[in-house]
Amino acid sequence: MRYPNGELALYDVTFKVASPTFMAIIGPNGSGKSTFLKAALGLIRPSAGRVSTLGHDSVRESAKIRKLVRYVPQRDRIELSVPIHVRDIALMGRLLKKSPPRIASSKDKKAALDALEQVNMAAMWDRPFNELSGGQRQRVLVARALASDGPLLILDEPLAGTDAESQSLIVKALHEHYTHNNVNVVMVTHDLNPIHVVVRDVLLLRNTVIGIGQPCEVMDPELLKAAYGPGARIVEYGGHRYCVTHDSGFDRHD
Amino acid sequence: MIDIFQILSMPFVLRALIGILLIAVIASTSGSFLVFRGLSFLASGVAHAALGGAALGLFLQYSGLAPWFDPILGALLFSTLVAIVTGYAGESGIAQKMEVAVGVSFALSMSIAVFLMYYIPPTQVPQIWGYLIGDILLLDNLDVVLLGGTAVFLLLLVLIFNKEFVYVSVDMDGSIAHGLNARFYHYVMLIASALAIAVATKAVGAILVYAILVAPAAASNEVVSSVRGVILGVFCIALLSELAGLAASFAMQVSPSAVAGILAAFSYIVAMQIRRRRRRKLSASPESPLTDLGDIVAPTQGCDHCDEHHDSP
Repeated sequence: MRYPNGELALYDVTFKVASPTFMAIIGPNGSGKSTFLKAALGLIRPSAGRVSTLGHDSVRESAKIRKLVRYVPQRDRIELSVPIHVRDIALMGRLLKKSPPRIASSKDKKAALDALEQVNMAAMWDRPFNELSGGQRQRVLVARALASDGPLLILDEPLAGTDAESQSLIVKALHEHYTHNNVNVVMVTHDLNPIHVVVRDVLLLRNTVIGIGQPCEVMDPELLKAAYGPGARIVEYGGHRYCVTHDSGFDRHD
Repeated sequence: MIDIFQILSMPFVLRALIGILLIAVIASTSGSFLVFRGLSFLASGVAHAALGGAALGLFLQYSGLAPWFDPILGALLFSTLVAIVTGYAGESGIAQKMEVAVGVSFALSMSIAVFLMYYIPPTQVPQIWGYLIGDILLLDNLDVVLLGGTAVFLLLLVLIFNKEFVYVSVDMDGSIAHGLNARFYHYVMLIASALAIAVATKAVGAILVYAILVAPAAASNEVVSSVRGVILGVFCIALLSELAGLAASFAMQVSPSAVAGILAAFSYIVAMQIRRRRRRKLSASPESPLTDLGDIVAPTQGCDHCDEHHDSP
């Protein structure tokens, strides 16, 4: 898998996890995390080999995959010059899976409202989306995915650039959704710390698989140093491990 | 009063009034989505491409290579090509890439136009420049029919596919991932807009097209917070600006397009002021989301515990 500029983004990515999973994909900038998600969705083609998502080829059977997935892109990919409301974004995931004219039924509206409720944004139903703060916008995008249907929920950096309250609400909502709905949740994140107690599997990438397993297994000093360099370290506090990687922000490879 | 009725019953004034209404419909349906996508520059790019295409049409006619090739066909062809090139550059949904493609197409079309002018009889060259400086009072019946067809086509397109156009504008990747054939709607939106701009440019000239397709949409988008509201706002601003321009042209020696353009641009300045005042009021309100500065733009690896108990390496 290559970036648009031709650089190698990912190679030899083979691993197995039991379904349903709540999986975090971590790794430094440019390690191929977002590329991995886009390849799974069929948004980009592998330069060699094949990618299979839920048993479907990501290139030839992308239409089948897209009926089964819900996707939250990086927040800065959302165009804010379009004057739409929170309700429109929350309904978008469901209406996109319908045929034109994509009229919202009362069931769609209830699902969207319930999803917004989970991230504490239901009161903003009629608010213009572009007037929300960054964290609030991210919560609405997560609600869009929660309101939609499909056994695989893919999120690209849903916690980046958000405050502690938004992070906590997003993680809680995703964990509850995973626990009660038997769905797979796969999220890319720079920061494992807010979610390491709720995720089941962690994939550590640096252009290839550096580590895969339960959070405590991947939070290994040697693995983290292999991915993030010699500055990475593990800190234990309150019975939990936390990683210090000095890595943050969005990755963009347009 | 009698004079006004006499003026309004004149065929060229009637055609102008119908043209004004149709241009307002085109502006509201096409211009709104161009501004949503950050593609307001497409209006000027396509208008100049139409000029290049018209030059090609005249060249083919007068060189005898294709006497049947009407300049309007060239204008539509070049406009479609600009839309396709722009669409290709922006398949990922990134407006900046599309703006660059429009800029390059603009330069290429104008170069082709100037290149071909040397091979067109000098008496026909003003017909090409007519694409730049048209006049709402000089519409002929064919212009009105073409504008009418374009306006009805765009209106139907937006009525049927407004959600798809909005989704493609807001989140291209997300729309594709959820199963929308986003690239199809992306190209439909751009090609339909480009054809509409080409027809409008031929009818009323590029100057009025720039002004009426971009400024009212930008103004409406500053102050209205719904897609439907913006579209309606664009229609009203475009219609009033054009009517005022027409009225002014009867009262004094001025070009109706120029007056309409100035008024439309002025509406954007007024809208910016209204928005600024609103934001100030909203910021002052304790419940405003604008006062929520809690979001951290670029957090360090977010483990407060580590920061408390360990020095960073």
